Amino acid sequence: MKRLRPSRWTGQLLLAGAGSGGRYGCASRRPAQHLVALSSSSSSSIRSQSSAAAAAAAQEEELAYDGTDHERFPPLDRIRPADTSYPSPAPERALQSAKLAALHARLSLSPKIPLQTLARTLVDASADGNPQFNNSNLAFVGQTLINYHVTEWLMVRYPRLPMSIIFSAMQGYAGDKPLHQVARSWGIEPAAAPGGEVDPGLLQFSAHKPGVSLVKFGYKRTEAEYLEKFKWRRGISSRIVFDDDFGQTVKATPGSEAEQSLEQQDGEEGEEGPVPVMQYGNADTRSAAETAHAHAVRATVGAVYAHCGREAVKNFIKSHILSRTLDVSKLFMFKSPTSELATLCAREDFEPPVARLLSETGRASRTPVYVVGIYSGKDKLAEAAGPNLDHARWAAAMNALKAWYLYSPGENVRVPSDMLSEGAKPWEPAHIDIGEVISR
Amino acid sequence: MEAQLLRRPAASCKCLLKPSSSTTSASLPITAIRTKLTASRHRRALNVPPHPSMLLTPSSSADHILFNPPSSAPSVYHTPFKFLPKSDPRRRANLPSLFASSTTINYNPDSTSSSSSTTDLPPVVLEAELKQKTHHLTKEDVEEMRRLREQDPVANTVQNLANKFRCSKLFVMMCCQAPREYRDQKQAQMEAIKNRWGPRRSAAREDRKRRLDMLFRGEL
Repeated sequence: MKRLRPSRWTGQLLLAGAGSGGRYGCASRRPAQHLVALSSSSSSSIRSQSSAAAAAAAQEEELAYDGTDHERFPPLDRIRPADTSYPSPAPERALQSAKLAALHARLSLSPKIPLQTLARTLVDASADGNPQFNNSNLAFVGQTLINYHVTEWLMVRYPRLPMSIIFSAMQGYAGDKPLHQVARSWGIEPAAAPGGEVDPGLLQFSAHKPGVSLVKFGYKRTEAEYLEKFKWRRGISSRIVFDDDFGQTVKATPGSEAEQSLEQQDGEEGEEGPVPVMQYGNADTRSAAETAHAHAVRATVGAVYAHCGREAVKNFIKSHILSRTLDVSKLFMFKSPTSELATLCAREDFEPPVARLLSETGRASRTPVYVVGIYSGKDKLAEAAGPNLDHARWAAAMNALKAWYLYSPGENVRVPSDMLSEGAKPWEPAHIDIGEVISR
Repeated sequence: MEAQLLRRPAASCKCLLKPSSSTTSASLPITAIRTKLTASRHRRALNVPPHPSMLLTPSSSADHILFNPPSSAPSVYHTPFKFLPKSDPRRRANLPSLFASSTTINYNPDSTSSSSSTTDLPPVVLEAELKQKTHHLTKEDVEEMRRLREQDPVANTVQNLANKFRCSKLFVMMCCQAPREYRDQKQAQMEAIKNRWGPRRSAAREDRKRRLDMLFRGEL
């Protein structure tokens, strides 16, 4: 049996650097205006058009000569005129980018990961629609790996968490918002606008034109439009089956709806008059920026996996994503904690919970404090302080329920993927709880 | 400094704490009441001596562990002993807790387990929680309850039905519903009352509800 060499599978990530030959040689760069016609048109016609465009650009450059002595003051960045016609920077320019080299060094990435791949992780699908030059396939691999490792760790670390809390915790570790923060902490900066002439070390996305990238699992529900219209309830089981990894409904084909709405908007505005300059930082642009940053992080994880393998990506996820602090106890919300606790005690064959007054102060004053403990038989389950007896009792019941749900076998639990490394100790079965106390 | 601390043993500060007489239950454990008449005496009395583990006694060696955590709410990440699953090693390692929580084994032969548990534990907040559930109502009882409520909702109020059938008001409300006209009438009465509320009272009620929601979200 031959040994698999994953590092050789990553040749396609460098396809533009390879120049010619191989399966992907025909996928040469083409100007932005021919994005849609790629599959039907032949490569020769594309090439001739691009060379014509380059010649025209060179003429324009000569015409625009402003008297600067280029011998004495060489331009800072030598960009071929053809590059500016591409939707994203050419891969070979990645080697000249100081920002990219700095990012590579700052993340302590392995030298096996070439700068071209790192440059590709920074090109969002909204900047370059060609999946051979944007990061959507790397981001898909990355999100799969991140979600797998986060779910596995949550399941072993907190075996009694209800599914809704697991969804929120997943969102808190691997959702768009935390990964956006990760990207910011890595020093990834967005370009003002995407294009072939910008530094490849900048994150390129378009806040106004969403790209088409499949970076999620999940089914589109047939009743999707009624869910929002009539506020239908989505049960947890159906969320697990149909929705994405965070329990959120999957929208119709990603990007298509948003593009349609944008086109409609453009049409309406076109009739009224000139298109107003879109203000930086409305809700849509912010969410687009968040998604683009998150996809860049996911794509980086995918690149680490593609070039360095399983163990490296596991360490990378552990050190950059799982190491973040999330207080899981803050994610809970209860409706009737006392009855839920009574149900729990009945299910587990404990004595029914009884609230007992541990101490109090200022009963006759304006601001009394009561400390109430919840007892089951002789054992105290939890305690809490409150401004009146009912609040203290409910808070104590909530604390008792949280103490039940947040049971953990230990700080450094072993996860199933630890068994994939060679010479691992035999696996001891993880604790699996019998299920949720009440169904939601 | 050390001699001064030792001169005032911890027992002398007990005069500060008196059991409160305002509450009904006599066994309320700790309720601090100001007994000093002047501020200076009170301040002096509040000068609490340090925890015994902070004092260096001749018997203790030079380096020993100080365990005197500040009083704070217990963390929910600390699983109580009863909630540990059977397979958890912490459960097997902590045999004293296992025996202490057992209701069948009693180490004090003088008293029965039930009486000792009631005397040792703090007083209950709601007496109703101590009542055993009897589950004595049958299907016919529930149908009778529904019939009575439907027949005459004014005479057969929820409270009256609960007293009659010896169950809780919650159970009555789970079982039966007043007729539609009666509910509408009550609703209108309540609306009229709410309309008489001024801005302060309605704002206070809204705030109370908001505080309750915050409590259930764990924000308070």
